[in-house]
Amino acid sequence: MTPRAELISSAGRALLDRRRFLSHSATALGSIALTNLLSRDGLLAAPGPVIHPARPYAPRASHFPARAKNVVVIFCAGAVSQLETWDYKPELIKWDDKPLPGGPSVTFQGPAGNLARPQYEFRQRGRTGKWVSDMIPHLAELTDEIAFVHSLTSTTNTHGPAENFLSTGFALDGFPSLGSWVTYALGSENQDLPAYVAIPDPRGVPQNGSNNWGPGFLPAAFQGTTLSSKEPVRHLVAPGVSGDADQAARSLLQRMNARHLDQNAGDSKLAARIASYELAARMQLSVPAISDLSTEPAHLLKLYGADDTRNPDKAAFAKNCILARRLIERGVRFVQLFNGAYASGGKLNWDGHSALKEQYDVHAAILDQPAAALIRDLRQRGLLEDTLVVWCTEFGRMPFFQKGAKGRDHNPDGFTCWLTGAGVKPGVSHGVTDPLGQKAVQDIHPLYDFNATILHLLGLDHEQLTFEHNGIQRRLTNVEGHVIRELLT
Amino acid sequence: MPRLLTKLPRRQCLTLALNALLAFAIQAGAASLKLKEPGDHWSFRPLATPAGQHSIDSFINARLSASGLRMSPAADRVTWLRRVSFDLTGLPPTSEQVEAFLQDQRKDAFELVVDDLLASPRHGERWAQHWLDVVRYADTHGFEVNTERPNAWPYRDYVIRSFNQDTPYDRFIREQIAGDTLGADAATGFLVTASVLLPGQIGADDVSKRLARQDALDEIVVNIGQTFLGLSVGCARCHDHKFDPISARDYYAMQAFVAGVEYGDRELRTPEAEARRLEATRLKAEIAQLDQQLARFVPLAKSGTERPPVNARENTDRFPPIKAKRVRFTIKETNSLEPCVDELEVFGTSGGNLALATRGTTVSASGSNVSANRHELRFVNDGSYGNSRSWMSNEKGKGWVMVEFPAEHTIERVVWGRDREGKFTDRLATNYLIEVADLAGEWRSVADSSDRAKYVPGQNKPATVSTNGLSPAEAQEAARLLAAKQALMPRLSSAENEQKVFAGTFRKPDDIRLLHRGDPEQPKDEVVPAVLSALGKVKLPKESAEQQRRLALADWIASPQNPLTARVMVNRIWQGHFGIGLVETASDFGRSGMKPSHPELLDWLAAEFIRSGWSVKHMHRLVVLSAAYRQSSVQSSVSGDQSRGRLAGQLHAGSLNAEYAKAQTLDADSRLLWRFPPRRLEAETIRDAMLAVSGQLNLKMFGRGYNLFAQRGGLSGFTPVESFKDDGLRRMIYAHKVRREREAVFGAFDCPDAGQSTARRRESTTPIQALNLFNSRFTLDQAEAFAIRVKKEAGDDVAQQIHRAFLLALTRAPRPEEVRDAEPVVRTHGLPALCRVLFNSNEFLFLP
Repeated sequence: MTPRAELISSAGRALLDRRRFLSHSATALGSIALTNLLSRDGLLAAPGPVIHPARPYAPRASHFPARAKNVVVIFCAGAVSQLETWDYKPELIKWDDKPLPGGPSVTFQGPAGNLARPQYEFRQRGRTGKWVSDMIPHLAELTDEIAFVHSLTSTTNTHGPAENFLSTGFALDGFPSLGSWVTYALGSENQDLPAYVAIPDPRGVPQNGSNNWGPGFLPAAFQGTTLSSKEPVRHLVAPGVSGDADQAARSLLQRMNARHLDQNAGDSKLAARIASYELAARMQLSVPAISDLSTEPAHLLKLYGADDTRNPDKAAFAKNCILARRLIERGVRFVQLFNGAYASGGKLNWDGHSALKEQYDVHAAILDQPAAALIRDLRQRGLLEDTLVVWCTEFGRMPFFQKGAKGRDHNPDGFTCWLTGAGVKPGVSHGVTDPLGQKAVQDIHPLYDFNATILHLLGLDHEQLTFEHNGIQRRLTNVEGHVIRELLT
Repeated sequence: MPRLLTKLPRRQCLTLALNALLAFAIQAGAASLKLKEPGDHWSFRPLATPAGQHSIDSFINARLSASGLRMSPAADRVTWLRRVSFDLTGLPPTSEQVEAFLQDQRKDAFELVVDDLLASPRHGERWAQHWLDVVRYADTHGFEVNTERPNAWPYRDYVIRSFNQDTPYDRFIREQIAGDTLGADAATGFLVTASVLLPGQIGADDVSKRLARQDALDEIVVNIGQTFLGLSVGCARCHDHKFDPISARDYYAMQAFVAGVEYGDRELRTPEAEARRLEATRLKAEIAQLDQQLARFVPLAKSGTERPPVNARENTDRFPPIKAKRVRFTIKETNSLEPCVDELEVFGTSGGNLALATRGTTVSASGSNVSANRHELRFVNDGSYGNSRSWMSNEKGKGWVMVEFPAEHTIERVVWGRDREGKFTDRLATNYLIEVADLAGEWRSVADSSDRAKYVPGQNKPATVSTNGLSPAEAQEAARLLAAKQALMPRLSSAENEQKVFAGTFRKPDDIRLLHRGDPEQPKDEVVPAVLSALGKVKLPKESAEQQRRLALADWIASPQNPLTARVMVNRIWQGHFGIGLVETASDFGRSGMKPSHPELLDWLAAEFIRSGWSVKHMHRLVVLSAAYRQSSVQSSVSGDQSRGRLAGQLHAGSLNAEYAKAQTLDADSRLLWRFPPRRLEAETIRDAMLAVSGQLNLKMFGRGYNLFAQRGGLSGFTPVESFKDDGLRRMIYAHKVRREREAVFGAFDCPDAGQSTARRRESTTPIQALNLFNSRFTLDQAEAFAIRVKKEAGDDVAQQIHRAFLLALTRAPRPEEVRDAEPVVRTHGLPALCRVLFNSNEFLFLP
């Protein structure tokens, strides 16, 4: 046990022990918690996961056997151009600088200009011969393991609603994020760390901020906790309070709460609160430990690019990638890794309206090597057997430049995201956009389908994972969603 | 769940069966039983008022005895006082209040306490929070930019005042939908509480514009439906409602009532706002006069004398009078990045800024970097200063902006700045040219930067008036004028604030069409304003005026005949007191919602509500003075608190425990109210209570909210304020509520994020809550303050201090073993250590 083990009361330890919890006598906590929960369930139209009040992060069963246990989402904020990365359109070379006949005159940001060729050279990669651009040489080497969907669509061409849509399944504000749904359903394998960690980009928070990891109307327990190589978890220690004083306060609190519980026997909420202080005490030790990268060997820092002194943003993102691996390694259920910050005219994220090539050179150097190293490292440690890696972005970009600019406008009608790792069929390219890459034309999948597929890999039926809110059994996928079977092994 | 079940002993399986039965009894035919006629659904039927004498307790007792249960004994006086004080005011009772109540032998002592609590201004602050949760009130616009909505708070204040004044609920409804007709302008803030995309955030293409408008209207309809009617009307946006008799046509007919509502600020028409407006007009004229007089001390451009260097705040270019139809300001170099201008003003010989958009002047530019609600071209002549209302060019180091007057004027002065509020000094035009074109269209240069002293980075003192070359008398006069102007400026800005409210603007309604699958690109036939066809017949002709539409809707909702309105509100009131309503789904009285646990009681309360003239305070009185509310929450007599020991004395402990066990088995959540169900305090209440106990609570009411974040938006996101003082120690309802960004310490306590409506707060328990409450600067600050207060009141004796600290925090004296536990901690680590523990104790955090 940790040095603080003595701080955990025997009652608290009993609470945290599942078997003893359930074998508690009839008047005591165990059965009461259960009757509470079950009667509540009886009142609800559809059964949801049973959340133990004292152990919200306890691992819970999936609906059917899961292919993946954990998830890492690499979320590229600002809308990465499919045309400069994964969706090769040689026709655009032919039509470079020519107007698109019958194309829209005005798109999101203003008048449309001429068609523009891919801004990077493409070449075929690996066994599958997949065409991928030179913008991302490290990730390009992994294409044999990846399942691409080239035909995704969003309901909106505006970043805020679109990031909402990608992260929560709704364009409006206030719905639970994917990670919240997953941890609500499944809990976590590690009880000393947050179940759901969001790692913001070193350059700043993503476009839509905390909505990307918010719990919406789910219980606050399922909110993503932000943590990065630069930013620690807030309130881990009390500033200016000595260890002794802290410990004395903690044990006094424990005694007070234990007495209060005795006087109010049978109130599971009180027991849950006692347990939460004990979990908090363990997090105080485990969180700093996980953030401490000094134990990582030099060759590994090099593999990720975390030692790149010439590119501090890349080094910092690489450290975030290492952190993601460490979290997964310790059984954290859901890790969301952000690449790209806030709206900034494309300077700090993938929103390449005006000078796409110039800006993507910068962004790609930050993303490519660290993200590829993360996938390699996970595989090398055998973690990819149980871990799903998702690469996503809120929408794509237009095949033409904006008038008077060297960048592409927003395009929600056909863009690419991909999966790799546990349960994912390697080397698949699913769905097709038109020859200019403007619209999905074959196997069209709204983002609902992509999210339904992620849940499916985790053993969750997106139609069964529900939560009653204001009269509606809410789902991640609203009333839509079909699992994209072509991506699965 | 099945996994758990298989491991349960037989006895518990029986428990489950009983539970299932009870659940069915309560639920009795929700979604699964599809009913044909709308009238078949309980909440759509008229109120059924049972004959004979009734009270809350008679209904509760009847239901309990039908299940073989009964109420618990009454809680002791102190417990009840703590409960009702938190409940009605969101604050704990003071030790003086406790003492007085314990001494009060009058028969109506309880009634008097309730009267006092309901009369307290704290009451409205508490109950307004419940309302704001439902309508998802926030002080920001939401979505990715989430910029400030600076004039939202008058609506929040309106709600607080309404609960304090006990505004009849039917009037409260009418005011929120059509307050512009009732002298309650701020009330219509209700219509526009949702997130909304601002003009600069919506795509330039028509598809984006139509979708954004539909989303904005949808939020209004959803808000009205769930708040007042408890119906998820929004479900019918894309298809006929799956469970309720609400067709897609019904939904769009509801949209037609509000189709002329736009999200935006409206002028407040209260007497106070009128007075401030007059004051502002007067001050502006006075300032313009001073500017005109000051202008003669500004050196003329191109006069041969060197003028002061440009500065980021404000620059004046004066030239001989010249006829102008258009004025162009061309920037050739900046001190950094793309140029930014917060305001371009042009003055004629008669004074007054001719460039203002409100005078019909139009504006164009070489190109603009748009950041919605911050940098937009229209802000360059909107009369508002500062970076957050400015124009930015889309080219590094250059760009031009041009104003065109509706008619030709003789002008003599151009005034411009980067940021008159003085926060930004980058993006400053250091090399520029001002040209003027007359009606004939001939351009002439009137001023440029060539005769200004060289710009020195870092020196940004505004130098509008130069004493260079002035006689001492002239210099003195200039200084006097300048001082007079500077004295007026803050008065102007305070007069200009607080005249507006984000309460919607009203215009000719859009034509509303039924949209196939909710898609604005697939319009079907046109619909006229009409109420939900299953519930009423009100229907307006297509040509109905905007205001008339909203009034008709409000009248229909606020009618005693509407079967939903009173039921929904009395249920919200019940939920506020017991933590859960008679109908668990407070915003869904439709078929997929829960049935009431006590249908007759619900209808009796609704009828009583209407009979009382829709008095919310009357309903509070009925509830909190009932025996059901006064019951103890303790559910075991053996371990029962000796200080609350009435229980043990009244009944034999063994049989009582058996009774509790049975009640626990049948109804663990106490929906039938065999005991008072305790619950954790809400986020705001915890913070407010800590401040009240530490003696730091600032009771200032109303007005602009205080900041929870030191930095809002932009790259670093929202950086929380750690240490609060002054306004930051006000009640949390007065915090500037940032949508979707939870407060750093208390947000984790299930504080709604104002994204979607919160009908009932969840109550979750997380280690993050524990970390926040145990370790945050806020807790440590308040523990310090609390300790100082205790020392002041109790003196130096440690035992006395412990006694006082318990009394203040928990409204009770410590027991001997608690003093024994606390003493060594206080002696070794100081009194703040104990105070920190008390703030974190379950007893402090739970409504008893």
